[in-house]
Amino acid sequence: DSHIQYERVGADVTMKCGSMDWDAAVTWTANGTDIDESHLNGSYLILKKVDLTQSGQYSCYEGSSWHLKYQTYLRVGTPPKEPVLMCRSNNYPKGFYCSWHLPTPTYIPNSFNISVIHGTREMVCEKDVFPKNRCHIRYLQLFSTVKYKVTLTVTNALGKNSTTVTFDEFAIVKPDPPESVVAKPVPNNPRRLEVSWQNPSSWPDPESFPLKFFLRYRPLILDQWQHVELSDGTSHTITDAYAGKEYIIQVAAKDNDIGTWSDWSVAVHATPWTEEPKHLTTEAQVTETTSASTSSFMPPPTTKICDKGAVVGSGAVAVCWTAGLVLAAYGVLFI
Amino acid sequence: MAAADSSSAALRRRDLCSRGIRLAGKMRSDVIDLLDTYVERQGLDASASVAVVEGVPVAAVERWDEQTGTQRLLENLAAYRAFRALLAQMLEEQREQLGEADAALGRALAAVLLQVSAFAYHLEELLRLESRGPPSEEGAGPPPPSHLGLFERKLWGLGVLRELAQWAVRSARDLRQLTKPSPGSSLAPSPAESP
Repeated sequence: DSHIQYERVGADVTMKCGSMDWDAAVTWTANGTDIDESHLNGSYLILKKVDLTQSGQYSCYEGSSWHLKYQTYLRVGTPPKEPVLMCRSNNYPKGFYCSWHLPTPTYIPNSFNISVIHGTREMVCEKDVFPKNRCHIRYLQLFSTVKYKVTLTVTNALGKNSTTVTFDEFAIVKPDPPESVVAKPVPNNPRRLEVSWQNPSSWPDPESFPLKFFLRYRPLILDQWQHVELSDGTSHTITDAYAGKEYIIQVAAKDNDIGTWSDWSVAVHATPWTEEPKHLTTEAQVTETTSASTSSFMPPPTTKICDKGAVVGSGAVAVCWTAGLVLAAYGVLFI
Repeated sequence: MAAADSSSAALRRRDLCSRGIRLAGKMRSDVIDLLDTYVERQGLDASASVAVVEGVPVAAVERWDEQTGTQRLLENLAAYRAFRALLAQMLEEQREQLGEADAALGRALAAVLLQVSAFAYHLEELLRLESRGPPSEEGAGPPPPSHLGLFERKLWGLGVLRELAQWAVRSARDLRQLTKPSPGSSLAPSPAESP
């Protein structure tokens, strides 16, 4: 006779050896290992204040014959705490999904039940195969002011708990981040970077439901971001990049009218175009480039910057600017 | 001649749609600001839920993506004509109740009323471009819900503005559908024109 027994962490557990009398001689094992008699009260096994490590297979054998009289699988766990539930529409206007998790594990199997109510109507949230703790709903109505009420109940052998979220159609709209972000230098333009991206593939109809975008960029060595909001188009040219500096760039998306901004896209790195010197001699000639708008840049005191672009050919001289010097947009030619 | 006419009609339609989309966007933004002002001035709780709002066109729609262009225009026009009457009512009541004490709310209501009228005009023009033409107006509009007490009337006003904010979003989407070359944008031909 074998079954599963669920008990709370910290509980005292008493196991009977099937139909054996209290005073019968028995041996108990846990996962095949004999259990010391000190844990027995007659033929009953007493486990005090059980913990997670005591989960396992418990078997009871008749004293002399070693016949298996009883077997149970003890699973020690906890009743569920209040689950965390969130709903989001990343494919507006098709529908939305809700996903959930438990703040702490229960260590025993849980089942989840979700109900979605819109006004007086109960809607079916279809469970996703993957990930497991997620379901999706198709919108039956659009532009409704009536709120949605979603209740998630989690149940296991030791108890149940639930949570409810209420929201309106527009509030949960949050696209996925833009995809395929690419940043490239612009030839002969030391202060420009061309950035392009695509609408997230999960957004079903960007023509009727256009997205707007937020671009942020900064040189790697600075903490402060520059921001640009773009109401249309999936490209932008940065025109105020510091010459020769590597940049980190990200883009976020939002429906033009409703909802919230997506998370930031994967970051891309790019460095604006810099002029390669032709070759070097002992006589240095310094020439200002045509784009002489000084991109004044003060590196932090400990920074030592080596202009790698200047190192070419035999007899090359590396040009190093030590800290404290203002870097202007100079082209350096060594002939 | 017919080709030139139809292409100039197409251009005019496109122009009306893009202006309409911009107007709907501005209108929504102004209605949201008006909602804040209204809630504050009328001493309401912003999160108060308003059940069914008598006589107010509801923006919620099923199978929105399956509507024809004509359906979209007609439903929008009916809605904005109704809002024109409702906002005029609210404006009058607001003046009676609060008088000059709240000119800001009155001005905000009047500004939105103007935009609603302008939008209704856009829709009428779009319908005129189809040989269908806009339906005639039915009269003065729905009667005020006179059985409501003062507080209920304030909640009713809140419901009107909220529904208008939804409509402004819907209208922009509807007009974008009209500019798409797809079944959703096709306008049902009148019986005389169907092949």
